Amino acid sequence: MSNTAKPFAKAADLALAARHEIISMTSTAKASHVASALSVVDILSVLYSGAANISPENMDAADRDIVILSKGHSASALYSVLALQGFFPKEWLALYCQNDAPLGGHVTSNGVPGVELSTGSLGHGLPYGVGIAMSRKKSGAKGRVFVVMSDGECDEGTTWESAMIANHHELDNLVVIVDRNKIQSLTFTEDTLKLEPFADKWIAFGWDAKTIAGHDYSLLAAALSTQTRPTCIIADTTKGKGVDFMENSVLWHYKPPTADDVTKAFEQLRENY
Amino acid sequence: MRDTFVKTLLEAAKKDKNIILMTGDLGYGVLDTFEKELPGQFINSGVNEQAMMGMAAGYASTGKRVFVYSIGNFPTLRCLEQIRNDVCLMNNPVVIVSVGAGYAYGSQGYTHHALEDIAVLRALPNMEVIVPADAIETAALTHSIIASKKPTYLRLGKSGEPVIHAAEPHVSHGVINEVSPGSSGTLIFAGSVGTVAVAAAKELAAHGVSVAVASMPYVSTVDLKYIKNALAKGPVIVIEEHSYRGGVGTAVLEAVNAANLRGAIGLIASDQNNLSQIGDQAFLRTTNGISVETIIAKFNALAAN
Repeated sequence: MSNTAKPFAKAADLALAARHEIISMTSTAKASHVASALSVVDILSVLYSGAANISPENMDAADRDIVILSKGHSASALYSVLALQGFFPKEWLALYCQNDAPLGGHVTSNGVPGVELSTGSLGHGLPYGVGIAMSRKKSGAKGRVFVVMSDGECDEGTTWESAMIANHHELDNLVVIVDRNKIQSLTFTEDTLKLEPFADKWIAFGWDAKTIAGHDYSLLAAALSTQTRPTCIIADTTKGKGVDFMENSVLWHYKPPTADDVTKAFEQLRENY
Repeated sequence: MRDTFVKTLLEAAKKDKNIILMTGDLGYGVLDTFEKELPGQFINSGVNEQAMMGMAAGYASTGKRVFVYSIGNFPTLRCLEQIRNDVCLMNNPVVIVSVGAGYAYGSQGYTHHALEDIAVLRALPNMEVIVPADAIETAALTHSIIASKKPTYLRLGKSGEPVIHAAEPHVSHGVINEVSPGSSGTLIFAGSVGTVAVAAAKELAAHGVSVAVASMPYVSTVDLKYIKNALAKGPVIVIEEHSYRGGVGTAVLEAVNAANLRGAIGLIASDQNNLSQIGDQAFLRTTNGISVETIIAKFNALAAN
């Protein structure tokens, strides 16, 4: 493939480059969910810079690690990371959400290299990941399955159905990473439908679960390095992370950045990273 | 019908370890042998159809042929969006197998009656909807489904349905299987309700009217060649144990309209006039408008026009 960027070895470098792409592409496309993407991009950067065994070279291999972005509205984050790591041409990002373009506003598996599952309706990624993990475990196949979810998504019953199934079948090849930014569609998660005590819920369902600082690359990488049970990493994140006026605000779940917002946001990124 | 399906699947699964049978905690006395003989290819997911269907799709994405078995509405309506997104959109080769078509669960009540499933599943892209007439057709269709790689909905009756076909029909994709010939009209049916069509044809024959009877197991792919020939002979009545809205009859009407054909087509289906009525399958068919009498009345009305 020509015109592909050189892969990033360090999650921090990948995430910073991806933040610029996310802000640009959501602005150009006048698309929503920039803050959701900025929230999850560090998790994806850790996965695609080495924590998960997945690259353009092995993306069709049967034993690759599978990464499913179940919070499909953060498509701009996944697409940025995949493009920067050379899964497809970076030029595609500029066409985000345009007519007949390869990349749409929710993660769509329409032949885009590296995309494992079309998502956008919440609560679908984990059962799907359970199915892959169970098939691999039963047949002795290698490769782990990482499902990246939003915290609001855990309102969905399929989350807890899947948690029971994964525990019962001892899926020690399945990892859930929850982007715990504490904001969902209309307001804060704890004001909508209480998730806390959140880690305890997963533990009660038989999982290994722990909460870590969700923007800390080395902590994320360490937490994802090994497992002995189905494992849930609750990544304590900030919605809109890295751009102060987008942080912790429901508004930026929806508002596309204007050209002026982009300039200010890039200044923020220079200051903060 | 369900025993024939499971037996046929078991024989195939013994030779192909990629065949997986998944159930949402149903199939007591039906799936036991499969589980006992092939425990590595059997999964009881528990009572969780939504997660189960997503899981089946993920499982199928690893190159397995996953059959999901449950009663009527549970592996269909309960998990519709999982079927739509994870199975159909991703084109994962999951086969959804429901038992208890129409009023097969009779007095168990409306929660157990499958009356809207064909309409809903038929509306989904990439989904092949298949409704066998009897055990003979079920066996033949199961073989053909195993060989295909498509998302499929197999709608089965329950058990002990009368055999309608005299011999194993030559099952072919999108082809209507004629049960008996006739010269002045055709009764096309889908499913075990074919026994009512056969009885109606006998009654018409007793009055000197010769109608063909035919099974239409492929609902998503209408056999226009057969329908065109049938319309040339006389009225075509489509009989199904399902709501009028969106079922097999509607599929025929849509196909006929798209092909710009003309002719008299009548639908016999459930009018769902009393959702809470208690009774067995034969009783509920009749009280909801599916009977020899309604078929003959519809045929005569169209023939007189």
